[in-house]
Amino acid sequence: MSGDLLLISARTVGLAALATALMLPPGIALAWLLARRRFPGQALVETLVSLPLVLPPVATGLVLLQLLGRRGPLGSLLSDFGVEVLFTWKAVVVAMAVMGLPLLVRSARAGFEQTDRRFEQIAATLGAPPLRVFLSVSLPLCRRGVLAGALLGFSRALGEFGATILVAGSLPSTRTIAVGIYNATVIGDDATAFSLLLVSAGLAFGALFLSNRFATQSTPVGPS
Amino acid sequence: MRFKWLAAIVGLTLSGCQGVDEADVGAEGPLVVSVAASLTSVMEPLAASYRRSGGALVELNFAASSVLAAQIVNGAPVDLFISADRFQMERVVAAGRVADPGPVDLLSNRLAFVAPAGSMLAVAAPADLLEVAAARIAIADPSAVPAGVYARAYLKAEGLWNLLAPRLFPTQNVRAALATVEAGDADVGIVYDTDARSTSRVTTLFVVPASRGPQITYPAAVLTDSAMAADARRFLDYLSGEAGRRVFEAAGFGLAERH
Repeated sequence: MSGDLLLISARTVGLAALATALMLPPGIALAWLLARRRFPGQALVETLVSLPLVLPPVATGLVLLQLLGRRGPLGSLLSDFGVEVLFTWKAVVVAMAVMGLPLLVRSARAGFEQTDRRFEQIAATLGAPPLRVFLSVSLPLCRRGVLAGALLGFSRALGEFGATILVAGSLPSTRTIAVGIYNATVIGDDATAFSLLLVSAGLAFGALFLSNRFATQSTPVGPS
Repeated sequence: MRFKWLAAIVGLTLSGCQGVDEADVGAEGPLVVSVAASLTSVMEPLAASYRRSGGALVELNFAASSVLAAQIVNGAPVDLFISADRFQMERVVAAGRVADPGPVDLLSNRLAFVAPAGSMLAVAAPADLLEVAAARIAIADPSAVPAGVYARAYLKAEGLWNLLAPRLFPTQNVRAALATVEAGDADVGIVYDTDARSTSRVTTLFVVPASRGPQITYPAAVLTDSAMAADARRFLDYLSGEAGRRVFEAAGFGLAERH
């Protein structure tokens, strides 16, 4: 197995962090919409966002592969601009972000639902425009939910395998911890598999531990 | 403080992604070769020695042949495909992704019957399995996994399939069949000769001679969209040449006859 442990671990953590950054804006927007607004097709959006949580990851990967392939609708568009996604680190980030997004949305949505709407209403009556209300009242109030969700999404991204191996392959330049474990197992290299497993367990433990701390500490209802 | 961490992560990520950066590999880019995962331990040293001998930089993409075929059919940027399984290669051919003159057989393999190291089973031919009544037989899923499909074809040809079927223990892939035998959870396993040789924790009962067993070949093909088709062909020639022969044969593979 080429590529040393440190490189694969650093790459996995870095790309998972990038994926988390990528999923934060749409994730928070979706969570807020689902918690605060009633709109037609809401149940559909809700289900679609959660789908990657329950679909076999390989199925999600297959959908991404067909979208991002050179003949796919997104892939052909991107390649017109000279951007190749499949088999690059970008594909890893996309797979991780799609798989992590549902966890972020669920946790952040719960955060929005638990905060008292009256603070937002008061800010609005004091003349704050909606975006200002969102940024300086809604978001700070549910930061714990968002943080817990971001860490959950990050943990999910760290361990992502099924979608990643389809769209990013297992090249020396795209191999993540999860894909590395799979490769090592297939060729019977148990020593490599177990060292990667230890790193993976350590990272996931840390992220989940933090996520739980944020999620269980009581959510403040007012500005602190 | 926070930003230092962020900078460190970004820095590590970027260094972790080196090799895809165009600047790093020159205008040509590396030769991307999708290889059946079971060939990992032979292909890595060969890719490295090819580079040392002045050839192109080769990036190997390892997965199950079925996954590799799905990637290629959907337009993944791959130059050369080496499959462990004829059916997956046919899938890629059918999608119009294989360049002329089509796939060639690169390697051959044989089936081996193995037992846990130190086993006292007296089995020197498949029919002997009928004598050892209790023996449980690990086999890669005979309905889908190539190694299992080959094993079933062989047992059928020997007239033993119906007799042994109740004692078969299907696993998700051939490596899992091997691991089951290594752990002593199965008394016998049907795996590839190359798998049997890769571990000291099993003992080979017998190897099915190529003349009696199913024809097990690993086809290879240069793909239509490759911008480096000439390099891909050169690498393929290197694999079937003297350097390839040494590494493949040491691992138990045969070099297929070129037609």
